[in-house]
Amino acid sequence: MIRYVIYMGCLFLLIWSCRKTASVRPGPQPYTLELPAEFPAPVYDMGQNPLTVQGIALGRRLFYDPRLSRDSTISCGFCHQQFAAFAHFDHPLSHGIDNNTGFRSVPGLFNLIWQKDFMWDGGVNHLEIQPLTPITDPNEMGEDLGRLISRLNADQKYRALFNDAFGEGEINSQKLFRALAQFMATMNSFNSKYDSVMRKLPGAQFTLEEANGYRIFQEKCASCHKEPLFTDGSYRNNGLPYNPYLHDAGRMRITNSTGDYLKFKVPSLRNILKSPPYMHDGRFYDIFNVFDHYSEGIEQTPTIDPLVKNGIPLSVSEKRELYFFLNTLTDHTFINSKSLSEILIDN
Amino acid sequence: MKPKALLCVFFILLMACKKEKQEQGTLQLTFTSVVNGAALDLNAASYTNAAGEAFTVSAFKYYISNITLVKMDNSEIKLPDTYFLIDESKPASKTIQVMAPRGEYRGFSFLLGVDSLRNVSGAQTGALDPVNGMFWSWNSGYIMAKMEGTSPASTAAGQALTFHIGGFKGEHNAVQRISLVSPISLTVGADRKPDVTIKADLYTWFSLPNQVQFAQTSTIHVPGEEARKISVNYSNMFRITSVTDL
Repeated sequence: MIRYVIYMGCLFLLIWSCRKTASVRPGPQPYTLELPAEFPAPVYDMGQNPLTVQGIALGRRLFYDPRLSRDSTISCGFCHQQFAAFAHFDHPLSHGIDNNTGFRSVPGLFNLIWQKDFMWDGGVNHLEIQPLTPITDPNEMGEDLGRLISRLNADQKYRALFNDAFGEGEINSQKLFRALAQFMATMNSFNSKYDSVMRKLPGAQFTLEEANGYRIFQEKCASCHKEPLFTDGSYRNNGLPYNPYLHDAGRMRITNSTGDYLKFKVPSLRNILKSPPYMHDGRFYDIFNVFDHYSEGIEQTPTIDPLVKNGIPLSVSEKRELYFFLNTLTDHTFINSKSLSEILIDN
Repeated sequence: MKPKALLCVFFILLMACKKEKQEQGTLQLTFTSVVNGAALDLNAASYTNAAGEAFTVSAFKYYISNITLVKMDNSEIKLPDTYFLIDESKPASKTIQVMAPRGEYRGFSFLLGVDSLRNVSGAQTGALDPVNGMFWSWNSGYIMAKMEGTSPASTAAGQALTFHIGGFKGEHNAVQRISLVSPISLTVGADRKPDVTIKADLYTWFSLPNQVQFAQTSTIHVPGEEARKISVNYSNMFRITSVTDL
């Protein structure tokens, strides 16, 4: 009988202690990002915004919350779809509130911590402030930053989540941007078939066509689409015929230098077959249109890149093999990752 | 613990001790705004620029940062982390309190604008929070100084004047260091807190050396040569008008 009482007492204490720990808020738990050894050191300094489980979860919620837009219709995830490597599948130009349309295509989001600047023209110089552009652009989410911060502060759920991630206190734009940056820092793509082959994983090898495509890629594409990120992060005029409806001067808009006229960021080729349409204005719906452009469609303008000036001749079979190689850059782990997928925001 | 680490700890301790010894006081800077001698009255009074064009002012804001004190022997003390946004529409923002080591100073200098480092360091807080409307999202960087208003000479919609002056890179750098020498020395002490009144004259923006005619230029909202020229003009904007001990 005494033993029974003791056991019951112990059980009670155990339950009690559980209850107590549950009611005390734990501090944010550090999160370790697994990065591939063959990649360069990240550009984004995570020392100033240490990743935590709570910070990443909050960033993910914000990313998928349409209430970040002025009329609560458009979330970041609206245009950045996971199945399209976080580009906007089948949409040549970005969409926004009030049926507005932007003037460039939605870039895929991955490996952002290795990017030194953002947007097709490189106008944004830091991962943390990148979300400021789509949130406030009248053609995108169209919201005033001050109003958004007030709205977040008025929301009990967000108050609690921000407190969990960054400690007690008012929500400010720095916390908003850092939470989003933490989530974006986890959007990394480095587990494609190509990566498995490069890492010599058991059973991983290119087919004959893929291997031929890789050789062609190395010979004709790799100086701009540099491995392992498949971009050198530079801005170049790739000879696209000028689009008179968009009047897009490219990087010149940022630098004021006529030498940067019609130059745009070299995009990564990772997941490229999952994220059509292509080019800064989404003019090509098919990757073969892109091959045709480089092979036969170069337009000569004063700032044209020397590497494409004379075209990059590709035979029919080379285009086909290149296609097969690009297919090995699709990272199924990334586009199906449960930790990045859309969450429904119900309150 | 490794000897190297120990040395580091010792050094940090030493630094901490050293800091404590230097006792801090306060320097107060009060900014007042005028246009060619007349007090600035937002959305009300009309003024005339150097080119003889009439105009009104609806907004006048600028950053003061990186304050450096000049001691009597001309040596300089950089004050850490000083970023202030002076906003004509917010009277409280026009008086700033600066923590300064006690001592006697002959003057000070500051940046009119935000240093390049803070333009490239991601999300900021306080005066530098983009919520203040002084940050360009599409071309990352701070608007160092902003003037908005109207002029019958302006050809922009609503006869608007929009002068958003920024740019921190290379030849388009619009950050100006302003040095001011005080008419009497400034003594920061346990019971002495100098209050320096600084007059900011908006007239300078459009006068010398790069005179602006609103009929030709009524909008600047990108970094570039035009913005830089205005910044050269407004680097002559400030005068110390009085110094009192509080």
